[in-house]
Amino acid sequence: MKDSKSLPGLDAPFVNEMRLTLRQWFAVGGILTIVVLCTPLLWKRLEKFETDANYRIPYGLSKDYWLYQRWLNRTARSDGIFVVGDSVVWGEYVRPDGTLPSFLSRESAANTRFINAGVNGLFPLALEGLVRDYGGAIRNRKVILHCNLLWMSSPKVDLQTPKEEKFNHPRLVPQFQPWIPCYKADIADRLGILVERNLPFLTWVNHLQNAYFNQKNILDWTLADDGQDPPGYPNVYQNPLAQINFEVPSAPDSDPERGVSSSRHKPWSKSGQGSARFDWVPLETSLQWGAFQRLTKILASRGNDLLVVVGPFNEHMLSEENRLKFRQVLNSATDWFSAHRIKFVQPETLPSDLYADASHPLTDGYLALARELLNSEEVQNWMRPHGSP
Amino acid sequence: MLFHTWPFAIFLLLVLPVFFALRKTRLWVPWLLIASYVFYGWWNPYYLILIIYSTALDYGVVAFMDHCPRVGAPGGMKRSFRAKLRALFGPADNIDSDLPAPSRRVLKIGVCVFGLAAVASFVSAFAGPATLRPLLVGFGAVLGLMAFGALSASRLTWLVVSLFNNLALLAFFKYAGFFAENLNTILAWCHFGFRFTDPASLMPFGSAYLLPVGISFYTFQSMSYTIDFYRGNIHRERSFFRFATFVSFFPQLVAGPIERSSNLLPQFNQFPKVRLQDVTDGLSLFLVGLFKKLALANYLSFYVERIYENPSAFDASALILGTFCFAWQIFFDFSGYTDMARGVARLFGFHLMLNFNNPYLATGLGDFWTRWHISLSTWFRDYVYIPLGGSRAGTIRTYRNLVLTLLVSAVWHGAAWTFVIWGVLHALGVIVTRELERSAWYRESVPKFVKQMGVFIFVCFAWIFFRAESLSDATLIVSRIASAGWTDPQCPVLLLMLVGSVWVYQFLYDSEWRTLLQVGWVRVGLASSMILYLLLFSSGGGAFIYFQF
Repeated sequence: MKDSKSLPGLDAPFVNEMRLTLRQWFAVGGILTIVVLCTPLLWKRLEKFETDANYRIPYGLSKDYWLYQRWLNRTARSDGIFVVGDSVVWGEYVRPDGTLPSFLSRESAANTRFINAGVNGLFPLALEGLVRDYGGAIRNRKVILHCNLLWMSSPKVDLQTPKEEKFNHPRLVPQFQPWIPCYKADIADRLGILVERNLPFLTWVNHLQNAYFNQKNILDWTLADDGQDPPGYPNVYQNPLAQINFEVPSAPDSDPERGVSSSRHKPWSKSGQGSARFDWVPLETSLQWGAFQRLTKILASRGNDLLVVVGPFNEHMLSEENRLKFRQVLNSATDWFSAHRIKFVQPETLPSDLYADASHPLTDGYLALARELLNSEEVQNWMRPHGSP
Repeated sequence: MLFHTWPFAIFLLLVLPVFFALRKTRLWVPWLLIASYVFYGWWNPYYLILIIYSTALDYGVVAFMDHCPRVGAPGGMKRSFRAKLRALFGPADNIDSDLPAPSRRVLKIGVCVFGLAAVASFVSAFAGPATLRPLLVGFGAVLGLMAFGALSASRLTWLVVSLFNNLALLAFFKYAGFFAENLNTILAWCHFGFRFTDPASLMPFGSAYLLPVGISFYTFQSMSYTIDFYRGNIHRERSFFRFATFVSFFPQLVAGPIERSSNLLPQFNQFPKVRLQDVTDGLSLFLVGLFKKLALANYLSFYVERIYENPSAFDASALILGTFCFAWQIFFDFSGYTDMARGVARLFGFHLMLNFNNPYLATGLGDFWTRWHISLSTWFRDYVYIPLGGSRAGTIRTYRNLVLTLLVSAVWHGAAWTFVIWGVLHALGVIVTRELERSAWYRESVPKFVKQMGVFIFVCFAWIFFRAESLSDATLIVSRIASAGWTDPQCPVLLLMLVGSVWVYQFLYDSEWRTLLQVGWVRVGLASSMILYLLLFSSGGGAFIYFQF
């Protein structure tokens, strides 16, 4: 019989010197533990992060959940009221000083500060993940949670369709339970997302990519093209580390996409009447509504005093018949809030010319909404400190 | 399931503890087999049908071979068909019956069962649904050959059954399209009306015609078992579970190393002794492999793809740099996989053979092939080159054998003319460097570094043919390298620095400065840096290049 040792390679298991002993592996483990635990903490001290009263997470950093967490932790030291929600809270068409939290702060007689804890591109399934995994600072506080029924206006936006759909914030949505039919990421990606959620170091790495590398992996950034034809590669000779200037990018001073001077900032329709027929999803079967329900429970379980603001949805754009269906969905939602003793307020639909689309008000719309909320008895009672008459 | 993904991490965390929990039972081998099948079926559960079929057939072939007399033994002589029938079915004291009674019984059953099955298969092929016809005809042929093997009590016939079956599987899934296309072109050129059928149309029930992952690796591993048994180099493995685990052992199943039965199979005889060093070595190997794949190969692949997808858009400098990057990409990708495979196997206490030994430090092309994909090159050395006569029959025959072996080795990588040219180039390179090594001047006066650079440049040149999408692309690249201008290749400096660092590391390892790399804090520093680099920079994803072979 042939001796197995006559085969090459059996006596030479290593062809480099990267053969670590147990003690050396422990040393590596120690170094890594220190780096992984300390770097994100140290980074907060090193990196300049300027915010003002109207601060909101910049559009370009919407997927920077580490920054969101940092922002909430910072504001948690003050005694403001968090306003949580999707782009309606964040202010899709308006400048930072034209958002709902900004007007609430300015119009509030008690000089209460309302903190914009909204993020662009969210929807209830992602909002639930954001608050659960990165919103731990929202605790034992007064919280306004915006409920946007637009996310139940069709099986597609409810993410129920079997056909694959691309949507924002896939890293925030449930990866396995409940199962989202149109989300087709493979299991490796889903597991990677779960790991990232539980390792703050990886979320911090994501912050670096968002803040300094154009939302790209650092290696991909060195290879990125300039979009021209023929393409140029502006970063190939750049030192990636030189990009890190220890300063969180702020929103641009003049954003052509937002604000009263922007071409997008205009009423949704000239006539003010629409005939849209949405394929409303019954709340019992809605994935987004299920996520919203869980979100209210998460916030309540953290000792928060919750007030849900429902809408106001742009009913002007609905056909008469569809408006009735919308009302049924709306009533189901408010019935659920009542049944679960969740405080809610249901503002009147704004005038048609104050909406930019189905759910986003324009700057004046936010002002009107803020005034209506602050004048409502429910909100005034809710804002009153416990024990005061 | 890829080694560098989270599903594999979970898989390993499930398989490893159960494996150790079963150490005192006989179930650890079946457990490894189940794990291996889960690992393989993760890509496509239908692939399992093929590997189980191939395993069962080779296991059976060797079992029957074991009942046949060895070549040169009394029962192994050539006889007439009638004498063979008499030997098997005649009375036990028949003059032609020189086989032991149990073997006669087994072979008799074999003749009957396989003969009937072959007939049934052929009948079904023509009476049954048309979609199953090619499959049933193939089965019928294999079963008929098996019946003949049992009837003739011939080890050689059984070996032919194994080779025919394994090579037919490879030929169908890997080469049939290439041959049909080329032969049809020739037939059209000669104005013949006949055309070969598209192999995809032969798949039953319209199933997808896909190359099963790793088929070239496990069929070669399985064939080595039958050939070694035929040659009398190994004992027959009686446990089907052990043999199936040997064929499908998950760390090396899809991209090697192609293990020999003499090395891996005996390791399944008893529960391995796992020492602390196995664990630390396993982790070290895995880390190096992971770094090669995620930090280096994947990064290089972006630049290489940009260049090779549209070579006409680039000039000489970019094409040269793209080829240089591909040389390192394929090395990091493939050696990274085998490092991880060896590391994972080591965690279980199994030792897999070395597959790469710093090939870009080779001083000759022959030397290169003793360092590159060692498990494949030794396979071809032992089962092709040496049976052809090796280097024992004069210079011309030696070179003929070298050329043939390298050509077969090249075609193993895929059915395309680019691979053939790649093989021819390497064969020429081996011959030239072999001749050069014969001259004292070359051996003694040419510095080692110059030889290494010469080999590296030649290997890079040959990689053009390996990587190019088509033969016309390859020739375009070569001609543009020779004639196009030199402008900014726009290759990231970071990428070149990383590759340069690894190259310097290899040269240091190969020099008297090697002791520097053995210092504890250097190892700790490098390992920590590699892990941090992976956490900070890597983008994950990306299958391994060699899966396609």
